[in-house]
Amino acid sequence: MLKRLRGQRQLMFMSLPIVAYILVFSYYPIWGWVMAFQNYSPAKSFTQQEWVGLKHFKFLLTDDAFLNVLRNTIAMSVINMVLGFATAIIFAILLNEIKHKFYKRTIQTISYLPHFLSWIIVTGIVASSLSVDGGIVNVVLMKLNIIQEPIMWLSVPEYFWGIVGASHVWKEVGWNAIIYLAAITSIDPSLYEAAEIDGANRYKKMLYVTLPGIKSIVIILLIMNMGWILEAGFEVQYLLGNGVVVDWSQTIDIFVLKYGLQIGNYSLATAAGIFKTVVSITLIFAANSISKRLGEDRLI
Amino acid sequence: MGGLKKKKLWGSVSLVLALSLALAGCSGDNEKATTKDGKEVLNITAFIGTPNQAPAKDNRIYKKIQDELGVNLEMEFLVGDLQQKLGVMIAGGDFPDLITADTKLVSAGAVIPLEDLIEEHAPNLKKHFGKDWNRMKDSSDGHIYWLPNYGVYTGEFISNYYSGPAFWIQKSILKDAGYPTPKTLDDFTKLIRDYAAKNPTIDGQPTIGFTTLASDWRTFPLLNPPEHLTGHPNDGGVVVDDNGVATVFADKDISKRYYKELNNLYNEGLLDKEAFVQNYDQYLAKISSGRVLSMFDQHWNFQAGEDPLVAQGKIGQTYVGFPLVYDTSITDHYLDRPVINLNNGFGISKDAEDPVALIKFLDKLMDEKYQKLLSWGEEGVDYQVNEEGRFYRTPEQRKEQDDPAWRLVNKAEGFYAAAPKLEGTFEDGNAIGAINQPEEFYDNLKPEDKELLDAYGFKTWSDFFSPAPENPVYYPAWQVDLKEGSDAAVANKQMTDTSLKFLPKAIMSKPNEFDNIWTEYVDAYKKIDIKSYEDRINEQLKWRIENWSVK
Repeated sequence: MLKRLRGQRQLMFMSLPIVAYILVFSYYPIWGWVMAFQNYSPAKSFTQQEWVGLKHFKFLLTDDAFLNVLRNTIAMSVINMVLGFATAIIFAILLNEIKHKFYKRTIQTISYLPHFLSWIIVTGIVASSLSVDGGIVNVVLMKLNIIQEPIMWLSVPEYFWGIVGASHVWKEVGWNAIIYLAAITSIDPSLYEAAEIDGANRYKKMLYVTLPGIKSIVIILLIMNMGWILEAGFEVQYLLGNGVVVDWSQTIDIFVLKYGLQIGNYSLATAAGIFKTVVSITLIFAANSISKRLGEDRLI
Repeated sequence: MGGLKKKKLWGSVSLVLALSLALAGCSGDNEKATTKDGKEVLNITAFIGTPNQAPAKDNRIYKKIQDELGVNLEMEFLVGDLQQKLGVMIAGGDFPDLITADTKLVSAGAVIPLEDLIEEHAPNLKKHFGKDWNRMKDSSDGHIYWLPNYGVYTGEFISNYYSGPAFWIQKSILKDAGYPTPKTLDDFTKLIRDYAAKNPTIDGQPTIGFTTLASDWRTFPLLNPPEHLTGHPNDGGVVVDDNGVATVFADKDISKRYYKELNNLYNEGLLDKEAFVQNYDQYLAKISSGRVLSMFDQHWNFQAGEDPLVAQGKIGQTYVGFPLVYDTSITDHYLDRPVINLNNGFGISKDAEDPVALIKFLDKLMDEKYQKLLSWGEEGVDYQVNEEGRFYRTPEQRKEQDDPAWRLVNKAEGFYAAAPKLEGTFEDGNAIGAINQPEEFYDNLKPEDKELLDAYGFKTWSDFFSPAPENPVYYPAWQVDLKEGSDAAVANKQMTDTSLKFLPKAIMSKPNEFDNIWTEYVDAYKKIDIKSYEDRINEQLKWRIENWSVK
């Protein structure tokens, strides 16, 4: 063991900074979790804090608003993930079929540019396109005679999840597709030739060669993204949300901001954060074991 | 490893070390700016809790302060939400020297008590706050943590300009209708209905009859009107009866009546459809387009939307405030006597290296010389003095003051608004601030404004309101500190959330659905622990009556 360590000392030495980094920035802060079991007050030292046990967790789990918030977070995450995956894969496969280099490049560039915009700009664009006051969406729908009167998209609670999902797709589809495009290029061309000889047409080739070819990448990304499932985001919902749609728009992060940071209730904020972490870890292990059963690559 | 290699390694390490030392040396030199007479400039970091544009790099007034007082202000202005920003600051435990007032900072132990510092080093501040000394003490521990920015008057109290709450209406509507005086909500809405019918578009865009705002913490344009319409002063979320007992009114019938009227306006297409979806910037943009006929708000809150209209000379599309009431038997109580703006202004953080230098700096600024510099500007450049010693501005100087871009280079507005300041009159009788100098105020009026005021026979914008009665000792209740993380604070958040959720729904409903949604709203409201909120306010009002009364 020691000998092996010595044999790899350069390697060990190189990894030291990373290990230190993770210890300092990822593990040391876990100590702060004890706050969730106190009535934490920043003015007091650790020994003076008042311990309250599971009070904050009880408040969260019995509060109607929090249960709504949990539902919204999971729902919007799932929508974002499924939509994000499906659109990115479809987009990558379709883009791969374009043989004209210039068109392909142009489309790809245009599609990933929105990724570099910040959410504040994107939500601004979304809000003004959905406006009843000459917003493009309403204008087009009216011109096409699909609707008679402008719809106030942002003040109908039921539309909110859809709007968030669509905004995500608009912003990220090109960017997410890049990795699949890369995966597609690594597929052995002889497979396509073989398929063609067997009489496969274009769609058959997409379905039986391209798609299986990128399956392992898809699964790995899916598992990795599972860890983020409760990160439905904060900015979009915060920036697009308003009082009318609050039941559908509020996510865990916004709840933590409003009932934790804004009124100085740090312990509650921490409790909600712990809750989120635990659910995320559970989900990632679940995804991993499902993948194992499917006989695919695993992450852990 | 061979000897040669080792040497090389050490060589490069020492080179890097030398380089970084040299660099550190350089940056150190840059920081130490000096004043004209060679003294070192003190850098003061300040966080200001309002969103301002940062002043220009070569700002004339800040430069003068640096030259004369040897202080360089490094200001950070608010971006985004204040409570979030402060929460993060507290969680991180890192504070600037001067920090915007917030009760949250007291319970976090982030600010130091000021009373001894003021007594020892700040005679000007002590004199200024002298008569409000007891009010400034924190109700929990009796220390003074904040230097309030507004509300302490010296000399004569002059108010030409009204920046408080009111129902605001475009001047061109009044002109068009022959200068009527709307007294009730019904008078007011009739004016809007008539004008909107005659002018379906303004400058090519659809007319908006009435708008409101309920975004972030700026929820008062939507939530406060009922208390004013019933003749109560601005106490925030409660009305206080003659015995000094506060009650929440958001779910009571006095509120229902107002929101029902908004519901009518909505169904007639006169209420801004996007009123409840818009954020503050969109609201200001809409006002600056000149097509919003009216709203309920406080003037300082929508001022930034009005400025571009003034700069473009569209005076007819700027606003006059009216103190509306439900019916004429009620006396309006919009105008109030100035009260010290508790829990506002600046505090000194525990991270400040030299609190004495800070308090001395703030104290020097309270000198009339610097107050004149901050409010009027430089004599001969920003204002003139006539033979009688009265301050005035030339037409060119007034024009400059209307230009927001000019002000960023030539005024220290961001800091001045947050700092403690003299208000009223200087010892020489001139008003502090050009807007309060009666002759300057009148000369500065645009011709359209003069015409309007003349038509009503008024001299100032405040004349539209009933004179302010004496303030009760506890006034105003909105300044009560709810205590961080307390049940009252949670209840307050839930109350606002519930109102913001149900009121828009009720207002935007069909006329026959309004009552049902209102019942739902009241039911949802009942589930909140309103009592803990009311109890906290009442307990504090009682405390104020006991401790603030002149005995």
